[in-house]
Amino acid sequence: MKRRLFGVFFGMVLSVLLAFPGLAANGLPRVVDWGDLLSDGDEADLAATLDEISERQQVDIVVVTVDSLEGQSAMAYADDFYDYNEYGFGEERDGILFLISMGDRAWHISTSGYGITAVTDAGLEYMSEAFVDDLSGGDYLAAFTTFAEMCDDYITQARLGEPYDVDHLPQEPFDPLWTFIISLGIGFLAALIVTGIMKGELKTVGSQARADDYVKRGSMNLTKTNDLYLYSHIDRRERKEEEPRDSGGSNTHTSSSGRTHGGGGGTF
Amino acid sequence: MEGMREYKCPCCGGGIGFDSRIQKLKCPFCDTEFDMETLADYDRELMDDRPDDMSWDTDSGEGWQDGELGELRSYVCNSCGGELVCDENTAATSCPFCGNPVVMTGRLSGMWRPDCVIPFKLDRKAAEGILKKHYEGKRLLPKMFKNENHIREVKGVYVPFWLFDVKADVNMRYRATKFRSWTRGKYDYTETSYYGVSRGGTIEFERVPVDGSVKMPDDLMESLEPYDFSKAVDFQTAYLAGYLADKYDVDAKESVPRANERIRKSAKEAFAATVKGYATVTEEAGSIQLNNGTVRYALFPVWLLNTSWNGQNYLFAVNGQTGKMAGDLPLDKAAYKRWLFGLTGIIGTVLFAALYVLWLL
Repeated sequence: MKRRLFGVFFGMVLSVLLAFPGLAANGLPRVVDWGDLLSDGDEADLAATLDEISERQQVDIVVVTVDSLEGQSAMAYADDFYDYNEYGFGEERDGILFLISMGDRAWHISTSGYGITAVTDAGLEYMSEAFVDDLSGGDYLAAFTTFAEMCDDYITQARLGEPYDVDHLPQEPFDPLWTFIISLGIGFLAALIVTGIMKGELKTVGSQARADDYVKRGSMNLTKTNDLYLYSHIDRRERKEEEPRDSGGSNTHTSSSGRTHGGGGGTF
Repeated sequence: MEGMREYKCPCCGGGIGFDSRIQKLKCPFCDTEFDMETLADYDRELMDDRPDDMSWDTDSGEGWQDGELGELRSYVCNSCGGELVCDENTAATSCPFCGNPVVMTGRLSGMWRPDCVIPFKLDRKAAEGILKKHYEGKRLLPKMFKNENHIREVKGVYVPFWLFDVKADVNMRYRATKFRSWTRGKYDYTETSYYGVSRGGTIEFERVPVDGSVKMPDDLMESLEPYDFSKAVDFQTAYLAGYLADKYDVDAKESVPRANERIRKSAKEAFAATVKGYATVTEEAGSIQLNNGTVRYALFPVWLLNTSWNGQNYLFAVNGQTGKMAGDLPLDKAAYKRWLFGLTGIIGTVLFAALYVLWLL
C-alpha cells in the first residue's frame, strides 16, 4: 500500500518534471549504451533527438544497446527492460524501445501503449528495412536516428487516425531519374505500338489460307461420327492451404511482468 | 499364334496382351487398362486411315470460235515478259505490271479460250477514288504516292484465273480429352478421359480460284477475294474492249497445289468443327480424296496501278467488281523515325508529369 502511494506521488512529481529534457518519464536516460557503440558526443546528440521527440509526442522513444541478452530472448529482454525501468507516458505506458544486442547480433523493438497503435506489424517491418542495412554496416548512429525519425513520423500519422499499416505504408521518396527512365521506356513502347499500327495500315496484302468462301452451301454431308471412349487417368494432388491474408494491425503478447507489448525483431 | 491379334496401346503405342486376372487388356508398358471391345473398335478406325488423293483432271477449255482470234491482238513487255491480250481497237502502250512500254507481236496464239468472264463493274473514276482514299491519312507513306497524276495511270486488266470445282471425301481421326475434377479430403483429383473420335463425309467446293499469272503475286490476288461469281458470263471478245487481258503463264496443273492447300484446310476445319464437347481435340490422322474435280478458265477484272519508288516496284490492285483494294505501301523511314521518337518524347514526358502529380497527391 505504501509503495503504491509512493508510486502515485512519484507519478505526480514526474508529471511536473516532464518539462525537463534529458530524462524519460521514469527519470532514466533514453539512450542506454551498455554495448558502448556510440561515442559520447553521438550519444548526447541521439539523446537530445529522442528527448525532443518523446516530449513532443508524449511517447517514450528509447534506444538500448547491450553486449549480451543474458540467456533471454531479445523480445523478453526488451519487454522486461521497458517494464522494470518503468518507461512510458501515461497510464498505458506509451512508448517504443529499440534494443540491440551485439553478442547475439539481434535487434528487437518493443512497443507499449500508444506505441502498439502507432507501430503496426507491417509498419515495423517497413521501418526495419530502413535501418537494418545501417546496423549490419556498423553505422549505429544512423540506424538509431532513422529509427527515431520514423517513430516520430509513425506517431504523427497515427494521431491523424490512420496508422501506417498493410495497405497504407509510408510513401517512398520521389526518384526523378528512375521515374524519368521508366516513363521514357513506357513512352517508347507506346510509340512502338502506335507506329506499329500506322505501319500496319500500309499492309493490305495477305494470303487466304482457306477456301471457306467456296464451299457449296449445304454440301457438307457427315456420314460417319464415332466417339470411342478409350481410357482415363486420375491425378491426385495435395491441396495447398491458403495463407490467411494479413489484416494489418499489431499482434501483441504479455511480458513477464504481465504488461501488454507489441513489436518485433530480427538479426543484423 | 494364329488367330491372335496384337493390339497397339492407344495411350503409349506399345504392344498389348490380355490380362486374365482383371479380364481386361492391360498395356505392359504404361499399365493402362482397356476393354477388349474398345481396342477392337479403335483398331478398326486405324485401318481406315488412307493417304490423300488430290488429283485433278486439268484438261479444260473450249476451242475458239471462227473469227474470234482475228479480233484479238497480242502484246509483249520486253521488260517483265508479260504477255497481254486486247481487242483490235484497243491500243496497249505500257505494261500494267511494270510500267515499261509494250510491243505488239501480232495475232494471238497458244492460249485457251476462257470459259467465262466477270465483266468490269467499277469504272476508272471509281477505281481512282478508291486508290486516293487508300493513300489518305497514311502518315508513313512517301508523298509521291498521293500524286494525282500518277493515280490516273491505273489500268483495267482481266487477270486469268483457274477455278477448281470438286467434291471431297474426308476422313478424319482425332484424339480428344475430357477433364473432371473433384476434391476429397486434402487432395484435388483430376481425371483425364481419352477418346478416339472419327468423322467422315463429303463436302463440295465450287470455283476455288488460283491466279494464272506469274506477274500477279498470289497473295495480292487472294487479298482481292471474293468475287461474286453469279455475275459471271460466257466469254465474248467484246468484253475486252477498252481493257487489257493478261495471258496466263501458269497452267492449270501448276495451280493445283495451291487449290489443294486451300481445299484441304477448309475441309479439315469443317469436319473438326463437328467434334464438340471435349476439352482438347488433336488431329491424329486424316485423308482427303477428291472426286470429279474439274477446272475452268476465267477472267476476273482488276484495276492495276504500278508505282516505282526507290528502285522498287509496287503494285496496287482494286477488285474491278467489288472495289476491294489491296497492295502493300512502302514505309517512309524518315517519317517513321520522326513519329517513333516524337511520340516517345511526348508520351514519356506526359507520363513523367502524371507520375509526379500522382506522387504529390
